[in-house]
Amino acid sequence: MSQRHADHAHDHTNVPAEPALRVKALESLLVDKGLVDPAALDVLVDTYENKVGPRHGAQVVARAWVDPAYKQRLLADGTAAIAELGFSGGQGEKLTVVENTPAVHNVIVCTLCSCYPWPVLGLPPTWYKSSAYRSRTVMDPRGVLRELGLDLPDDVEVRVWDSNAASRYLVLPERPSGTASLSEADLARLVTRDAMIGVAKVPAPREGGGA
Amino acid sequence: MNGIHDMGGMQGLGTIGYQASEPMFQEPWEGRVFALIRAMPVGSLRPYIERIPAAEYLRMSYYERWYTAFLTRLLEQGIVTHAEVERGHADPAAGKATPAITPAVARELLFKTPHEEQDIALTPRFYVGERVRGRNIHPTTHTRMPRYTRGRTGVVERMRGVFHLPDREHGAGEPTPQHVYLIRFPARALWGDDAPAHDALYIDMWEDYLEPA
Repeated sequence: MSQRHADHAHDHTNVPAEPALRVKALESLLVDKGLVDPAALDVLVDTYENKVGPRHGAQVVARAWVDPAYKQRLLADGTAAIAELGFSGGQGEKLTVVENTPAVHNVIVCTLCSCYPWPVLGLPPTWYKSSAYRSRTVMDPRGVLRELGLDLPDDVEVRVWDSNAASRYLVLPERPSGTASLSEADLARLVTRDAMIGVAKVPAPREGGGA
Repeated sequence: MNGIHDMGGMQGLGTIGYQASEPMFQEPWEGRVFALIRAMPVGSLRPYIERIPAAEYLRMSYYERWYTAFLTRLLEQGIVTHAEVERGHADPAAGKATPAITPAVARELLFKTPHEEQDIALTPRFYVGERVRGRNIHPTTHTRMPRYTRGRTGVVERMRGVFHLPDREHGAGEPTPQHVYLIRFPARALWGDDAPAHDALYIDMWEDYLEPA
């Protein structure tokens, strides 16, 4: 990712219309002006492609499932409890963990933008950023969840969290049955991104789950 | 502003397009846009995204919006010129800067948590458990108060701390630190009697967005 001048040299006066070319041209310009270091850009891309993601959140959830004292700290101060496991960073100043129970189901959205808890889930998937998800989830969460495969009983209270300010939310899903004998690491492997957004439940393990 | 970005409660905006898994960046240029913005802290780009005309906003992908906002900001601040953008090269007469974000700094950024909460003692205007109403205001610039909360009544659930009012952050006067409150709005208060009776929406509201109910 170093030489990018040749690709757009054929262009004459107009900014190339295709995003890939326009972005390359802007990057070349900013490098040329000494404003960015392409090696730093490589580090940033690699960080968000490979070093943060839902695996962090899954570790937080698994710890909360096996350690009641940790869970208590997590629900009281998400940012501090998540930092105990070494996770922090951009979009992580006010991490609030909301717990799903048989009576309450939480789901997160950002209607104004696409705010998302980067330190524990990485960058949001495209569908989370879609106009349809952003517009509908606040008004018709049950319809959205049904469309995504989660049909909730009427007596469950649905709580929608709109991430409009500094707060970023992580859903603590219910621990599935049949997991009593699983280790913390095995439990973490069960936890999905979607369950931590609140658009799915954590599926029970098919085999080897003990009871 | 009452822009297209303020989507909560709108209908007819297409399909969710759910995918179980996908690459973090759909195309390499998206990662480069993301990295450029992280590597050049030029201030919040959200007001610039919100100024994109609605039809274009809806046509653009997420990272096209960020690219457009970033470029607009760079041009407005005079960091780059139109002529330079067209050529893809710096004006030879312009000086050469030194990048602020080196690879080592970029690695540290991963763990660096922003600190926007203000350590300022202010007497809160509202208390936990109080009924409050979203004010009927229509700011013409950036705001974090979605339209669907205006005129609606909820209850203060929790204190969030003191933060600058984002509406004033972008060249519109002095910083205005104030309390932020987590508000619980019953679904029926927002969407009428067809909404399920015990569902609810939670959202953070700056003090200026609220009035006693």
